[in-house]
Amino acid sequence: MNRISLTPPILSLLPALALVPVLAVVVTSVHVGGLQLLFEFFGAAIQPSLDPTVVKSAWRGLQITVATALISWIISTLLGILLGIASASVVWQTCIGKSWPAFLIRRILTIPRAIHELLWGLLLLQLLGLSPWVAILAIIIPYTTLVARVFSDQLDTQDRRALNALLQAGAMPFPALITALGPPIVPILMSYGGYRLECSLRGATLLGVFGLGGIGTDLQLSLQSLAFKEMWTALWMLAAVMLTLEQSINWLRRRQRANETTTNQILITFALMILLMSLGLPWLKGLEIDLSSSISWNPIPWPTLAELIGALNHLQWLKLISSTILLTLLASGIAIGTPPLAMMLWPSRLGIEVQSLIWALLRLIPPPLSLLLLLLSCQPSIAVAAIALGAYNLGVMGRLLKEGLEEQGNSCWKALQASGAGARSSWLYGCLSAQSPSYLAYAAYRTDVILRETVVVGLVGGTGLGWQLIESLGSFNWAQVILLLIVFATITLIGESLSDYTRHRWLRSTQKPALVLDLQS
Amino acid sequence: MSRRKGKTSVLTALIIFVGLVSCTNQPQQSFRIGAIPDQNPEKLNRQYKLLCAELSRELKVPVRYKPVTNYPAAVSAFRTGSLDLVWFGGLTGVQARLQKPGAKVIAQRDIDANFRSVFIANTTSGLKQINNINGLQVLNNRRFTFGSESSTSGRLMPQYFLHQAGVKLSDFNGNQPGFSGSHDATIALVQSGSFEAGALNERVWISAIKNGRADPKKVKVIWRSPPYADYHWLAQPNLDQRFGSGFTDRLQSALLGWSDQSSTQGKILELFGARRFIPASIKQYSKIEKVGRDLGKIQ
Repeated sequence: MNRISLTPPILSLLPALALVPVLAVVVTSVHVGGLQLLFEFFGAAIQPSLDPTVVKSAWRGLQITVATALISWIISTLLGILLGIASASVVWQTCIGKSWPAFLIRRILTIPRAIHELLWGLLLLQLLGLSPWVAILAIIIPYTTLVARVFSDQLDTQDRRALNALLQAGAMPFPALITALGPPIVPILMSYGGYRLECSLRGATLLGVFGLGGIGTDLQLSLQSLAFKEMWTALWMLAAVMLTLEQSINWLRRRQRANETTTNQILITFALMILLMSLGLPWLKGLEIDLSSSISWNPIPWPTLAELIGALNHLQWLKLISSTILLTLLASGIAIGTPPLAMMLWPSRLGIEVQSLIWALLRLIPPPLSLLLLLLSCQPSIAVAAIALGAYNLGVMGRLLKEGLEEQGNSCWKALQASGAGARSSWLYGCLSAQSPSYLAYAAYRTDVILRETVVVGLVGGTGLGWQLIESLGSFNWAQVILLLIVFATITLIGESLSDYTRHRWLRSTQKPALVLDLQS
Repeated sequence: MSRRKGKTSVLTALIIFVGLVSCTNQPQQSFRIGAIPDQNPEKLNRQYKLLCAELSRELKVPVRYKPVTNYPAAVSAFRTGSLDLVWFGGLTGVQARLQKPGAKVIAQRDIDANFRSVFIANTTSGLKQINNINGLQVLNNRRFTFGSESSTSGRLMPQYFLHQAGVKLSDFNGNQPGFSGSHDATIALVQSGSFEAGALNERVWISAIKNGRADPKKVKVIWRSPPYADYHWLAQPNLDQRFGSGFTDRLQSALLGWSDQSSTQGKILELFGARRFIPASIKQYSKIEKVGRDLGKIQ
């Protein structure tokens, strides 16, 4: 009778099993040789460099990053909503009675989404040269299609009874769609849109870490020469901006929800976006980044068939693909399983607060940096790369879980506790239980993201397709680059379909359609 | 007094501006420079204004520095004409020159004609001093790291010397080498013991020993490579058309003329870790080109 069955709350803990092999490898290879540098790193956190030139440079970089993030956030959100409407089957079905165009558009949109923003950045740089548009477009292209996917998923999972009633009563298709689907979709869109801003900010920072300007570049340069005090100057500034953005968006949302009608919410948000956009462009111009300068097109030589075949034979595909998948699985396990496990082990109010601080810190530190820090005290292995990548995404998953639990309230938990259940099991079945289907749905999205992000840790880890892609880009071997992109996109698409499948299964097993901010970055 | 000076220089700039516009028949352009620094990259990135002001003063054109810290990004920026003058490493300079036929090698540092890499090892690894190149075979099955993947002194030439000694990349422990990302990171990772050995730029090693970042009790040099030509300034082929005839020559003599007698020039040279810049020729880099082709870094 005591057999633990595979209920959703248990399933959301299961991925934490990835910690077992990872920790086993890491613990056996851990050493104290790098302790001194690690102390230096954490010591530098409390005494960041206040040298005026350092602060000035970081401040300039921060402005570039924030302006880039704002512009690309606004464009990608607006375009994403349009494309999302265009790829929702409910829209096509209502308007022309067929849903295949939605399916077609959705499949086409998977290709830009399958490639990480960093790769878009490096590829666009080849084609456009050093244009300030490179960083912005690199974020816009994948993010627009991400927003489109999430938005169309949301539209399609809405309750259609109201819509059908309106249509049968003879309403025109378009007004009927707006009347029936508008009110439930707007709050979701608002909270998801706000979340995308944080994603854009992290994306813009990461692009900088790979040399595309902004505060990420400051971070990268101080990382290269291990100047930790200067690194913390940039990290603290970034943390302050992230926190401020997060808080002001939350504040705005709460205020709007309390005081405004849906139409006003939309109008105010659009007005704000346009205002920010019209501020962002001159802001960048003031930083000597002129978006109105002309873009030149510099095509790269198309590889011949012989070159393609040569590249096909040269690369060790099996090894590259298997290590990429292994890295993805391990990192996803860590990112998905750790937050519920940690909250179960330490469910008190203090515990949750401490954990959410740690998660914020994990979201702040870009994976290349955390990987280097880890490598100072562990021998190199895929496990170390998995921890670095997992930790970054763990920060996101932890935040999601906490927000979900807060919205849900804790009456079940209290009831279970009152009936004499232990603190942990009552948390597991009282709190996590109701939250786990939507948590698992996010988890499926997150796994897609992690697969794309393996490109980010490949560099230091020297493993997998991601590293090979950057190496081939550095050798200007276009045949290899093209093949690697195709393989990368194929794996991503397979992964995406698999996670779509699991996500739909989970959503079906819940009572109501997931009123979730489907979060992915 | 200073205001009049300011007016004069504004006037001079205007006249030159008008002159340039009329002779090139194009809108006034800034001279755009970029650099992939090996040492003190963060300092160079912050103090580029010195470099711009000095070049601008001597060449009488507005000079802008564009930060590009990623190796392949800098090569692409040069190919696409987004940068007019770039401080490249040996390999990236050759890559850029091959992608932009006619590009001119302008100068190198006094230390670049005979540049070297060093192979370093953790003192607890048991790795001993190597006397000739074949001795590199002791690195078989060791944990080994390069620096950045497009670095000449931290990857290309070390890989070439390993290749000569018969050590393949898959012979290292874990079937692959690490890529620490920078010379300083290589020192830190070998010193910590995470990697048993690594290879890097000798200049960075020397300054790390001097400023105490490398601890001789924990990490030591096991082999010093033969010399090769490394970093250099590379300029676009069309500078004379765009900035007036003789511009490339003026640029070259400006750079070659810098000395530590002038405080500004001295500061710039110090940032580059050089006493002065000296002439350089394409020929010096033919070996790098061959090695790059052999190792697949140049197509």
